[in-house]
Amino acid sequence: MLFLLRAFRIFWRALREWSGDAAYERYLCALQGGRGETPAPLSPTDFYLEQLERRYATPSRCC
Amino acid sequence: MKRVLSAGIWLVVGVCGAGALAAIAFHRGEGLSATWFVLAAVCCYLVAYRFYSAFVAARVLALDNSRATPAERHDDGRDFVPTNKWVLFGHHFAAIAGPGPLVGPTLAAQFGYLPGTLWLIAGAVLGGCVQDFVILFCSIRRDGKSLGQMAREEVGRRGGFLAQLAVLTIMVILLAVVGLVIVNALKSSPWATFTLAMTIPIALLMGVYLRYWRPGRVLEASALGVVLIVFVVVAGQWVSQAPSWARVFTLSGTALAFAIIAYGFAASALPVWLLLAPRDYLSAFIKAGAVLALAGGILIVRPAVQMPALTRFVDGSGPVFAGKVFPFCFITIACGAVSGFHALISSGTTPKMILREGHARFIGYGAMLLESFVGVMAMVAACAMPPGVYFAINSPAGIVGSTAQSAAATISSWGFPLNPTAMVELARGVGEQTLLNRAGGAPSLAVGMAQIFSNTIGGPRLLSIWYHFAIMFEALFILTVLDAGTRVGRFMLQELGGRVWKPLGSHGWTPGILVTSAAIVGLWGYFLYQGVVDPLGGINLLWPLFGIANQLLAAVALVVATTILIKMGRWRWLWVTLTPMCALVTVTMTASYQKIFHPDPRIGLLSNASALAGQLAAGSIPAARVAEVHRLIFSQRLDAVVCAVLALMIVALLAEAGRLWYGLITRQIRPVLHESPYIATRWAAGD
Repeated sequence: MLFLLRAFRIFWRALREWSGDAAYERYLCALQGGRGETPAPLSPTDFYLEQLERRYATPSRCC
Repeated sequence: MKRVLSAGIWLVVGVCGAGALAAIAFHRGEGLSATWFVLAAVCCYLVAYRFYSAFVAARVLALDNSRATPAERHDDGRDFVPTNKWVLFGHHFAAIAGPGPLVGPTLAAQFGYLPGTLWLIAGAVLGGCVQDFVILFCSIRRDGKSLGQMAREEVGRRGGFLAQLAVLTIMVILLAVVGLVIVNALKSSPWATFTLAMTIPIALLMGVYLRYWRPGRVLEASALGVVLIVFVVVAGQWVSQAPSWARVFTLSGTALAFAIIAYGFAASALPVWLLLAPRDYLSAFIKAGAVLALAGGILIVRPAVQMPALTRFVDGSGPVFAGKVFPFCFITIACGAVSGFHALISSGTTPKMILREGHARFIGYGAMLLESFVGVMAMVAACAMPPGVYFAINSPAGIVGSTAQSAAATISSWGFPLNPTAMVELARGVGEQTLLNRAGGAPSLAVGMAQIFSNTIGGPRLLSIWYHFAIMFEALFILTVLDAGTRVGRFMLQELGGRVWKPLGSHGWTPGILVTSAAIVGLWGYFLYQGVVDPLGGINLLWPLFGIANQLLAAVALVVATTILIKMGRWRWLWVTLTPMCALVTVTMTASYQKIFHPDPRIGLLSNASALAGQLAAGSIPAARVAEVHRLIFSQRLDAVVCAVLALMIVALLAEAGRLWYGLITRQIRPVLHESPYIATRWAAGD
């Protein structure tokens, strides 16, 4: 049972990472871990919009 | 003892693979179980991954896990994000897997199952995977630079320009051909058209949810989207059965082409969060689910492959597309074995997210193996249906006629028995008015998938639901490619236009966005329209052009990779990239030459234009069709020019690279690598 629970947790975390659900949390972590002066973090909406603009400016889906 | 056991296991895997390949190659007569295909592919992939990719990683590229990757050095949580290798594998695979490995093998099945299957496996193992892996490695060593940037720095400015031009050309042809696949899948099908049309408001709803209600909560929005999609697939049946609604959603090829052109313009000009991004999320989930379901279905049902190993059409007289097995099987399979487009992904987001250099093998080589496996499954699904049915669905009306009787008579005369009643019943079973003349690969793949799925769950009762689910799945992610490709094409045009007139290059200037969106949509829309009005179905014309462009881009990537290996002093291992490059150049050049100059009007564009011009001069074209024939002649000549430009680009790039290679070999040029300097990783080995 414990094994199943752990497996589900790993799957859920991977799914959130893969889908981009955890991207904002990742961004905040990266910001906190950065060296030097930390800039003010973007809001979730601004981060989401900025991320999309960047992602779809280069080939992101193949034939 | 452990080594002996390991050697024994790999020996068994190798022998199983060789045995399964032999069974596929030498089997004749009764249907062959799909299990042999799965076994052959999986064993070959395992052996190739374990030995060949390890050799490339250790000897050719000398991957170094002590070296910090761009994700570690520039970690900003935005572009550069250190990502778990399994998650990144999923990202990379979702990005590289498009309609190509599904449509290409389905079309190539006209030669029989053997040539396509062998090329899918061998081409991927020795060519496609190597290309993806090496380009990923090169980009990691250069801070995640793009293929164009690497070509400019390592091969020369002209090389970089040619790479960029090749990307834009392939994009235009790709978008036209995928648009045509959708048109042929939705033509005269109210159920499929309704389902796909409804994905637009669903994506808009998801877009608003993700923008205003729950910013960035992709899983919640996608779950909502998937539930709604399943509902509209079922609701499509009710629409198709209500005459007044069915009339609204029954569209001709031309009407659908214009609808898709308008949609492409909207997707390019609208904010990315509103339509493009939510559709992409939806498509990624449905794609992953459908591919897993197809793999599971094939393993459970183990359908018998009914198509012969080789058909009479290896001589070039095929009804689906004209041209001999060499070079057209290779050109047609395209992405399932080698795809130049993958080099753009391998030098795009993936190198910026990779945790360690060593992961490049698993992600670059491994993801392409999985894509090749998707291609093998598509081949099995296409070949599992009776060959007569396959040819009836994929042959244009200009060859087999537009009635079940005429199609049955023609196809039976080729040696593939077809009962007209069975064709009518199959169409009724999947909820369509007709399945005849649906060239493009998508409908026949959907029939194959629906038969496999319904044999697993639901039986014949659910055949129509599964068929329309499969059509929706194919059309959904084709539209995603169309959306994303049009937007990237727009950016490329804006970049080019910005050099001439600065405001055009601004991403925030609305008139500039509208003009460049209209220009890129106009470019691919022209080729799409031309394909739709072509009496031979258009796929015959456009898919080989797409294949040539795609393989050309792969040759560009391999030229860049070979140049970098020369500069790294890896002379002994140059054959690793040089061999697939030579193969691709040979295939691309032969196919280009044949497409332009072949005397058979079904293959050669110029001879077809001349034949049509001759008919016009002889007065054998009815007055009502004269304007259309004039347009066709112009299109054929234009396509010949496009093909010639593609071939000239590869010649120019080879000349540029050859000059550089000669200089490097004779030591007249000092090798200068543009790698980022070595910085040791701060992460422990287990991180």
